[in-house]
Amino acid sequence: MNYYRPKNIDEAKRLLQKFAPDSRIIAGGTDLLVEMRHANYALKEHLIDILKIESLNKISENGNELIIGSAIVHDQIANHPLIKRFAPLLSAACSVIGSQQIRNRGTIGGNICNASPCADTVPALIALEAKVKIVSPRQEREIPISSFFHKPYHTVMKENEILTEIRFLKLNDNQRCAFYKLARRKALAISRINIAAILKISKDHIIEEARLAPGSVFPTWTRISDAESFLSGKKLSDEIFKEAGNITAQKMIEVSGRRWSTPYKESVIAALVKRALVMAAGELTP
Amino acid sequence: MINIKLTVNGNICKLTVPVKMTLLDVLREQLGLTGTKRGCEIGECGACTVIMNGKTVNSCLVLAAQADGAKILTIEGLAENGKLHPLQKAFLEHDAVQCGFCTPGMILSAVSLLERNPHPDEYEIRQAIAGNLCRCTGYKQIVEAIKSVAIKRKHDDSNIL
Ligand SMILES: Cc1cc2nc3c(=O)[nH]c(=O)nc-3n(C[C@H](O)[C@H](O)[C@H](O)COP(=O)(O)OP(=O)(O)OC[C@H]3O[C@@H](n4cnc5c(N)ncnc54)[C@H](O)[C@@H]3O)c2cc1C
Ligand code: FES
Ligand code: FES
Repeated sequence: MNYYRPKNIDEAKRLLQKFAPDSRIIAGGTDLLVEMRHANYALKEHLIDILKIESLNKISENGNELIIGSAIVHDQIANHPLIKRFAPLLSAACSVIGSQQIRNRGTIGGNICNASPCADTVPALIALEAKVKIVSPRQEREIPISSFFHKPYHTVMKENEILTEIRFLKLNDNQRCAFYKLARRKALAISRINIAAILKISKDHIIEEARLAPGSVFPTWTRISDAESFLSGKKLSDEIFKEAGNITAQKMIEVSGRRWSTPYKESVIAALVKRALVMAAGELTP
Repeated sequence: MINIKLTVNGNICKLTVPVKMTLLDVLREQLGLTGTKRGCEIGECGACTVIMNGKTVNSCLVLAAQADGAKILTIEGLAENGKLHPLQKAFLEHDAVQCGFCTPGMILSAVSLLERNPHPDEYEIRQAIAGNLCRCTGYKQIVEAIKSVAIKRKHDDSNIL
């Protein structure tokens, strides 16, 4: 097995050109090292470490857009002034990932590419309508994160591709947001259910646009368009938030069918959606 | 195999290691620094916590190759000239050590916390050690020990860390 640590993206592309598909990208390794311990892990001959690629280690703004390099670790996002100011739901999501040790090491790119159904950054990024940039030795493409995943642990990425950056529009002052995570144990818990919400609210407290993205609820990530359209145009109130929760729970049953966990998940998801919406509306809720 | 250079507790170490070898294995097996403990090896217990370039990491989840060029602080490097670190002393004074298995990782997480945030409240202390499991469940004493150092620092306002 060989290990490479390219310093720039061109060097990484050359390595992928040469070695893919017998290569594997490693970032923080917090998913990959666990995976490598499994007996049936298909060992790749060439390990390409992207953590030292400078261009992937930046958080920047470009006009009304925020751009996050894929090698940025969760702790940086959780504490970064630009993200806290313009996408607080993403810093909130990153601040509750794993433990301090995991947040110091795990990257946003790794979280997305690993495509675990309970990945905490993904619902937030879906609600933000983020786009991801994917680079291969010969070309570059950019796709909305909502079309990045096929199913849990499967994405559109090919073996010679690197996810380089994530970008999305900054939230405006009239866009309120929240990230809520329910887990078995407060810390170090992989999410049972998490939810990201963004509400665009007019001066007279009318919801102009609602975005709701739950994680670990549906087989793939999807926004709850039924609940979103129900909310839009309505005045903020506990009742409509409650109803949006019920709509989401019904949707879950429609999509996943009834299972052993349904009675639990149904009431929890309804309550959780409501709570996320109340949190997002913040002091505006009457 | 790959050649790496680490600065461990101030000492430069040049090593040749297999690509798959973790930092944990290098510290324990190659350098004999067994203060860093091997627990779950999947990032959940924190017994293997070390400080790498100023940040706590689970050394079981870092390839030694990835640590090439890095500065590592393990529990063995915390005492200076035979003098215990204030957190080490506090752990002893507060009976925060039972079997001691979690202690090295716990103390390094606390060191890192107090560097980031010299005056943490109880919630912040608990958050900071959430990735360190104590199988003897001595959390109360551990939190008290960390708190005592934070409070002492507040009063002295000297830079004892
Ligand atoms: C104890 C523990 C607790 C955890 N808790 C949480 C939690 O609460 N919430 C949560 O969401 N996750 C959690 N995780 C999972 C993990 O920490 C995150 O998913 C992390 O963000 C992964 O990033 P990484 O840099 O470590 O990825 P790596 O392990 O380096 O890579 C993961 C996968 O993505 C690929 N990859 C990485 N970066 C790129 C890239 N730029 N381009 C292409 N492919 C790439 C790798 O080839 C690999 O397949 C936890 C993990 C552990 C061990
Ligand atoms: S041994 Fe590394 S976290 Fe348990
Ligand atoms: S003292 Fe025994 S594990 Fe903490």
